[in-house]
Amino acid sequence: MRERITTAARGNTDLLGLLALLLVLLVAYQHYDPSLLSPASVTILSAQFLPLILAAAGQTTVMLLGGIDLSLGAVLGLAMAVFATYDARGAGGVMTAAALALCVAVAAGAVNGTLVAYAGLPPIVVTLAASFLWSGVTLVVLPQPGGHVPAGLVDAYNNGWYGIALPAAALALVLAVWKLLRTTRHGLALYAVGGNEHGAYASGLHTRGVKIGGYALAGAFTGLAGIGLAVQTGSADPTIGTPYTLNSIAASVLGGISFFGGVGRMRGTVLGALVIGLLTNLLLFTGISPFYQLVIQGVILVAALALKTYVTREAAE
Amino acid sequence: MSGLVAVSAAALRGSRAAWAFGVLALTWLAAILFADGFDSVSNFRYLVQTASFLGIVAVGQTLVVIMSGIDLSVSGVVALSAVVCAKVASGTGGGATGITAALALSALVGAVNAAGVVWLRVPPMVMTLATGTILAGALLVYTDGSPSSAAVPLLDSLANGRLLGVPWAFVLWLGITAVAGWLLHLSRTGRYAFALGAGESAARASGVPLGATAFTAYVSCALLAGVAGLVLLGFTGTSSLTMGNPYQLLSIASVVLGGTSILGGRGHLLGTVGGALLLTLLTALLTSWNLSEGVRQVVLGVLIIGLLLVYARERRT
Repeated sequence: MRERITTAARGNTDLLGLLALLLVLLVAYQHYDPSLLSPASVTILSAQFLPLILAAAGQTTVMLLGGIDLSLGAVLGLAMAVFATYDARGAGGVMTAAALALCVAVAAGAVNGTLVAYAGLPPIVVTLAASFLWSGVTLVVLPQPGGHVPAGLVDAYNNGWYGIALPAAALALVLAVWKLLRTTRHGLALYAVGGNEHGAYASGLHTRGVKIGGYALAGAFTGLAGIGLAVQTGSADPTIGTPYTLNSIAASVLGGISFFGGVGRMRGTVLGALVIGLLTNLLLFTGISPFYQLVIQGVILVAALALKTYVTREAAE
Repeated sequence: MSGLVAVSAAALRGSRAAWAFGVLALTWLAAILFADGFDSVSNFRYLVQTASFLGIVAVGQTLVVIMSGIDLSVSGVVALSAVVCAKVASGTGGGATGITAALALSALVGAVNAAGVVWLRVPPMVMTLATGTILAGALLVYTDGSPSSAAVPLLDSLANGRLLGVPWAFVLWLGITAVAGWLLHLSRTGRYAFALGAGESAARASGVPLGATAFTAYVSCALLAGVAGLVLLGFTGTSSLTMGNPYQLLSIASVVLGGTSILGGRGHLLGTVGGALLLTLLTALLTSWNLSEGVRQVVLGVLIIGLLLVYARERRT
């Protein structure tokens, strides 16, 4: 038993620090809000964190491929706008709206991926230009904040549905699908192409197809994040997605995803997103001006990365 | 004749900066012929004046991109410099104190960026992203959310005045371009920057000083973003916390449209001038057609992608 724990710990050394930080945050949180572990709190917190976690999952998918997605926030806003603009009535209507929003986001991701795979342009440039494109499309769909999400859905999502924390369940489902995908050859191909593109190509992988698929999958994650944000807030805002681009990169980097592709685990990203989310909430509790949030978030990002680089260098020497 | 075509085709293939000016000339010609109001001297003057704000930031961005870095904190620095100068100038200090304080703080941000990249080994994208986030928060704290406006005579004449009919802002931009051009293409530091951009480990192994070069590039970039903030303050007479936001992505787009490789090591500073003029002209054209904000962004995004596909593709390795 003990041996197994050591082995598991050794496999996730870089995540242990993050996990410890998360535990400290949770203990501090418990101090300010003793109802932290009650079902109601879990529902509220997971509803609040779901968009960031899913957006970070999308960014991680692209980063594992050795890319980066600067258009993520725009695609998130687009999915949100499509979902809330579709006049959804009843369960069927909501499903149609969600399917529509998801399709749009996947298509946007696939377009990004196709440009990266076939155009010979670096991902950062492609997605930079695409961020103008997708935020423009969002403004065409929804020029002003507005749209409408059925009130029953908003209530069920934010306050629980027959005692089930819907957002937590949705998150668990999405992560389970990722976990399953990771074990298939498609998931492996993602890591292979990100880790060593030439090697992957030489071993017979259709690297361009893998890239397009990866960006489309990232689009799916981002689309779900947009739908989640629309349901959480009950309406849509064409510009609300912008901060998610940088926050998703921050969460992924905190979670140990390498900029050069092929290295990192989704569980790290989820931890990273949770740390960012909990920290933001904690700062509100402590009564520090919310203006300081951004300052502290930036400092933690640099400190975590610098510490990690330092530890890795020590270990290497 | 065919020889001339072959020579010019070879020149175009060799110099992507020339492409930027070619496209710029064609677009300008088309604008004069087919769009209303682009044939007047006052319009020309206004275009180069507004292009200067973006251009000054983009020149700094080029210095960083050549050494395969990136500066995502320029938007924060533009706002920082304008907000600090306005607050100091409208308070007890005079305009000169405000300008000095703004430029000193800008340079400090650049030094922090370089320190993080060189000593903490944090990837430039994350480091500058983090300082940008910290700046946004610090400005909120500093201004309590409501930045002040100030009329500084020197900045007003710098932004709106003319020298022999040429806007001072444009003269300033050209002067900055000349100095930066010397720094990048004629000085030893510039050689180092190109070498680091082409391959960092090889460059360091041959004795290129990473630290000194990175500090020069990042401090110059931040300083220029600070200058742009000051000129913008003079132009509008007010400061705002979000006034720098457009410059983050547009400055990178100018660099890339100017033919500089985002991966570093290849490009020319003059291309960036063409890129900034081209982007400003395109924006002005789209505005003159009374398109909605959304459609304008879609067209701009598609145009950028199209132009990059024509002349900024990376060679397949």
